Amino acid sequence: MEDANFIVKFLDWLMTFDRKALILAASAIGAGMAMIAGIGPGIGQGYAAGKGAEAVSINPKASKQATLVMLLGAAVAETSGILALVVSLILLFGNPIVTQEGAVIILVASALGAGISMIAGIGPGIGQGYAAGKGTEATGRRPEYQSNIIRAMFLGQAVAQTTGIYALIISLVLMFANPLVKLL
Amino acid sequence: MEPITGKALILACSAIGAGLAMIAGIGPGIGQGYAAGKGAEGVGRQPEAQGDIVRTMLLGAAVAETTGIYGLIIALILLFANPLVGLL
Repeated sequence: MEDANFIVKFLDWLMTFDRKALILAASAIGAGMAMIAGIGPGIGQGYAAGKGAEAVSINPKASKQATLVMLLGAAVAETSGILALVVSLILLFGNPIVTQEGAVIILVASALGAGISMIAGIGPGIGQGYAAGKGTEATGRRPEYQSNIIRAMFLGQAVAQTTGIYALIISLVLMFANPLVKLL
Repeated sequence: MEPITGKALILACSAIGAGLAMIAGIGPGIGQGYAAGKGAEGVGRQPEAQGDIVRTMLLGAAVAETTGIYGLIIALILLFANPLVGLL
């Protein structure tokens, strides 16, 4: 194997480790990867906060209504961050992969994949935050239509959440019901 | 070179994971910056409503901060209370 390329050498090197060590190491990286999803809610809620400040400045009398819509919308935008946190905590404290049977390389890659999958949470976080911001803006302009605005905002946010849920499903499948191990 | 043990590999990967977790800081940074900009814009438009504007802005920015704190918690767990080494 003198002319083996870098990847083959790297995989050979990895295989010199204990299988548990490899899976736990991959879980550590996966837990970190999952938290990258926090970018989304951060941007989205910040946008909502900005629109809240803008709405209050345009119509200070509607301050309470606009703030309520901002907080409701931001709470929905938070969900993908929480889902990523849950996956990360599962990998750290309730690791289901380390006790599984099967080829170690598949389990290692599954731990990484479970974390990478959750990065999708960026999208719903930004999108729902944008919806929260626009809802806040509209409430500041027409406080009397607050309930209609909230209804439309929640409906749109629910649709925006779907891709985040898909990512969560893939992540949970990779962790708890891995179909790949049986295929080998 | 001394051989790398399994424990060393887990700890090395924990360092990488802790760094990756902190990438989440991008989001709150962008979002809160936008909020601060809009807050300044709002105070410029309605200086008499400054108290209300700043309150709403800070409330929203505090919510935007949460995911950054989650990332920090995971990073700190990986660094100082690593649960994975104990599983080996």
